[in-house]
Amino acid sequence: MKLPKTKADVKKLLRDFWHGKPHGERRLGDLYADKTGLYKHREWRGVRDTFYYFHMVWLYNYAHMVTDIMQDGGMVNFAKGLWRYRWMGQTYLPVLHWFDRGLEGLRGEALRASAWHYRAMVCVSIKQLMDMFNADAKLHGGAHNDAWQHNIAHKETVWGGVFYPWSDQYTNVPMEMVPFFITCHVNNHTAPHYIDAVQSIGLPGDPCTMCQAEAGLFVQDDIPDYAPFVVTSNEACDGSVASTAIEDWFLDLPLFAMPQPMRFDDPLVQEHCANEIRELWKFVEEQTGVPFNEQLLCEKLERQNALQRFEWEKWDVAAKTPYYPINSVAQALYRVYQTQYGDHDIWHRTDRKISRIMAKCVERKIESFPLTRHRAIAWSCAPLYYSNWTTWAYNCWGLNVVINMDSLMFDMTIRTDNLDDCVLDMARYHEWAPMRRMTVGGMQHIFELWDYMERFRCDMVIMYDQLHCKSMQGVSGLFEDEFRKRDIHAIWIPHALADKRTVSRSEIRRIVNDYMTTVMKEEPLDPSLLEYDDDMGW
Amino acid sequence: MRHTSTRRAARHCPLLRLLRVLLTVAAALYALLFVVFFFDLDGKLLYYVVEPLLCRHYDRMERRNPLDMPYRTDR
Amino acid sequence: MRDLKHLIFFEDLLQEANNDLVQQAMREGAYALGYTCYFMPEVLLNLPGCFSVRLRAPRSGSPDIATYYMSSRTCHYGRALLERALEGGFNFLDAQFATETCAVTCRFQEHLERMDVIQNPEFFVEFTDVPFKKNENSVAHYRTQLQAHVLDVLHDKLGVDVSDKALMAAIAEHNEVCRLISEIGAYRKLDNPPITGYEFHVIQLVTLTCPKYLILPYLRETAQELRTRDPEPVSPFRCRVVLSGSESDDPELTRLIESCGALVVADRYCYGSLPGREEIVVEPGQEPLDAIARHYLMTSCCPRFMPREEMRGRKKNLADLVQEYHADGLIVASNKFCEYWSYERTMDALILPRDYGVPTCSIEKEYTNASTGQLRTRFQAFVESVEIKKIARGGSST
Repeated sequence: MKLPKTKADVKKLLRDFWHGKPHGERRLGDLYADKTGLYKHREWRGVRDTFYYFHMVWLYNYAHMVTDIMQDGGMVNFAKGLWRYRWMGQTYLPVLHWFDRGLEGLRGEALRASAWHYRAMVCVSIKQLMDMFNADAKLHGGAHNDAWQHNIAHKETVWGGVFYPWSDQYTNVPMEMVPFFITCHVNNHTAPHYIDAVQSIGLPGDPCTMCQAEAGLFVQDDIPDYAPFVVTSNEACDGSVASTAIEDWFLDLPLFAMPQPMRFDDPLVQEHCANEIRELWKFVEEQTGVPFNEQLLCEKLERQNALQRFEWEKWDVAAKTPYYPINSVAQALYRVYQTQYGDHDIWHRTDRKISRIMAKCVERKIESFPLTRHRAIAWSCAPLYYSNWTTWAYNCWGLNVVINMDSLMFDMTIRTDNLDDCVLDMARYHEWAPMRRMTVGGMQHIFELWDYMERFRCDMVIMYDQLHCKSMQGVSGLFEDEFRKRDIHAIWIPHALADKRTVSRSEIRRIVNDYMTTVMKEEPLDPSLLEYDDDMGW
Repeated sequence: MRHTSTRRAARHCPLLRLLRVLLTVAAALYALLFVVFFFDLDGKLLYYVVEPLLCRHYDRMERRNPLDMPYRTDR
Repeated sequence: MRDLKHLIFFEDLLQEANNDLVQQAMREGAYALGYTCYFMPEVLLNLPGCFSVRLRAPRSGSPDIATYYMSSRTCHYGRALLERALEGGFNFLDAQFATETCAVTCRFQEHLERMDVIQNPEFFVEFTDVPFKKNENSVAHYRTQLQAHVLDVLHDKLGVDVSDKALMAAIAEHNEVCRLISEIGAYRKLDNPPITGYEFHVIQLVTLTCPKYLILPYLRETAQELRTRDPEPVSPFRCRVVLSGSESDDPELTRLIESCGALVVADRYCYGSLPGREEIVVEPGQEPLDAIARHYLMTSCCPRFMPREEMRGRKKNLADLVQEYHADGLIVASNKFCEYWSYERTMDALILPRDYGVPTCSIEKEYTNASTGQLRTRFQAFVESVEIKKIARGGSST
């Protein structure tokens, strides 16, 4: 740090100390320790925001993680799970760094709002892993305790809401959400281990890495034994159906497959899908001996509907104003997590906080992302191992990814006034799950991009190019044609979803940098973020 | 003079002494936590010490081989 | 063995999708209806006045333009079909009856729908949703779909008679093809069959790609021929194998396997006959469409089926097939980038040897494979290992 020479220098120093450096001067890239992605020191965001971060993000979350664990099952079970499962010990201890990466550069209301989203996701993740550990026969000498008897295991792509009618007595826990999906975001070293494990038994390397890693968990015997039966689904793709065969072998439990139709616009498929849900409920009744509770279903669905209505409010603010206070990665992850998991108190508490913050931003016209040069929409599936690249993109280039495709799934409320309509709506809800809402059932869905671009006033597309997704690979040329025809700036970002080794984070940044300099002819807002090596980082 | 009497009172009042000690400890703890936070010492500990240790443990763990599990085709 | 009279003719027919018999049927006023998947019931596309063509792209080279549209990371089969369509090779089609059963063929058919590729102004694509299970809910759903997206469309757009009487006639014709193929295929169970796997593969393919009513006379003659055909005095093959796997419409793969010494005695792959050539049974009082829907669902061994008994049953089915056809081993061949079969093949390679003692060779292939040296090496090694096992068990190697 240079010593101030003039009075103006001193004033600037004091101003920067008090308020934090303005965007263009932060040099966030200088904070990184080479290769590891660790910080030489955490960001100084000005007195107010740094201490907010220290108290209400760092301390708060560490403290609440401990209290959540105590509340949800205790330190002993947690420690046992941590000692037993690689995905636990390797991933979840550095979770505060996940906050750091996603919230880099944020100030004011955006820092607050985005951090609350992260907190909610951590809370639900802890609940899930404790639900697993409390019941896990592998941690309890093979015994099937009461918790085990009252859990329902399901593939992470099965919407948790389908188990609402038993939610007062049974806990549904997705098998791979915590062992796989979240690990990719928090510590991208974990998933490749499981991908390698399933390939070691002969699986080729080209199937979707999400399905590979999910199967790999079973190959490594790293899925807890926490429930007496399992429910699976065909959402979102061929791979998710196919990997069920391996999972079924290693689980060896009563299994119910609840598929959704592919051609979901066809009115003729809805009754079939609704009947599959009814069959699932019969299966759960048979397995648990507990009858279906319609009233509980409706109560939970109404709570879920409230969450969806608030999400629409958020989209309204994001689409029509520059006052949206939630950054892209918080928006995207929270939305997928909340909708896929189903109703939980923390979502409502979080939404109440966000509602207050958002109202304040709109009333006082607070622009949380004032250096937005481009409003972008992200389409297709994002790189899980670099979900926070959008934070980097805003800090480096002013590229604000306002909305993403996966947020736009499950875009409906569910009727609760009569059961038949309710089940039909639930059928539709399943059909509109992440990825499948846009990628199956006809190309008209995937090309809804143009409508959403207009709705969210985006001038740029981030086209995720998931190298293992056959569905999206099969439509890449038509997208190229359309981008050209419509004269749309589109940055193609190749990635391997859960496997950071194929296209590294540095490579993703390089692609964006190249486009922004050669095509857009722009200068970076923060040149220190252009090139750095975080290949060994979390 | 009043100041001296207050300090004398504090020296002789155990409650006040305790409070002073606690505040000092709390301040020191707070400062320590802030240092850990600001210099990312938690991250560094996890990265350089905890994660490698745990990974070594996981690599050495004896695991059941799921490929030995039977595959009953009459189910 | 004496050459089969019509084999060269059949091989010629397979060189083009728009072959002589297809052209003849079109001259006679029949509609050419394309499809790719077993879940599109072939029998429904052979109602009076139309004929089914299961799409292939024979003699495919490098699908460069299709690769632009569908990237190099999708199944070569789907891309080869799109390339052939872009080249004009499918311009003879009047319609494509599509299913969204696997991602890449679905994308191929969506390209046909969207891109105005087929130079026929009346051409249309119609999609049918196919269930993932075999329960009554799924049968009912499938039946509804076939009625709405196949029969009603055939009637409304092409004026095809879709009455029960017409369906029964189509079933009768279809069943005759099945009987003849099954009769021909059953020879492969013999210790020294009078037919090779390659010859059977060619015959089975022509029944999928040519109008039934035009191929039937040749098929009848071939079946008659085989009743009296003498096999080689000593079988030239060193072992017998079941060939299982994903889409396989290239008889050169079978020829390659057999050139390495393994007789292909059973064909359990898409475009194969096991399943594929079982007769449709219409019970008294049963609606023909119901019988058809049940038949195609119940006979299918597609890895798309999700219920546990289906997933596990497929392994047993394979093992039973190996036993029924007295095979010494199993080759599971899947197309590169086929997600379903990547997982299925992995499990077959683990379960079949371990639980059923079936030596298994698991390979990944491209759409066309004749000149692949790597595959040859794999097959040769497999044949040798099977031979050694047979000798060790006390059997002969032939």
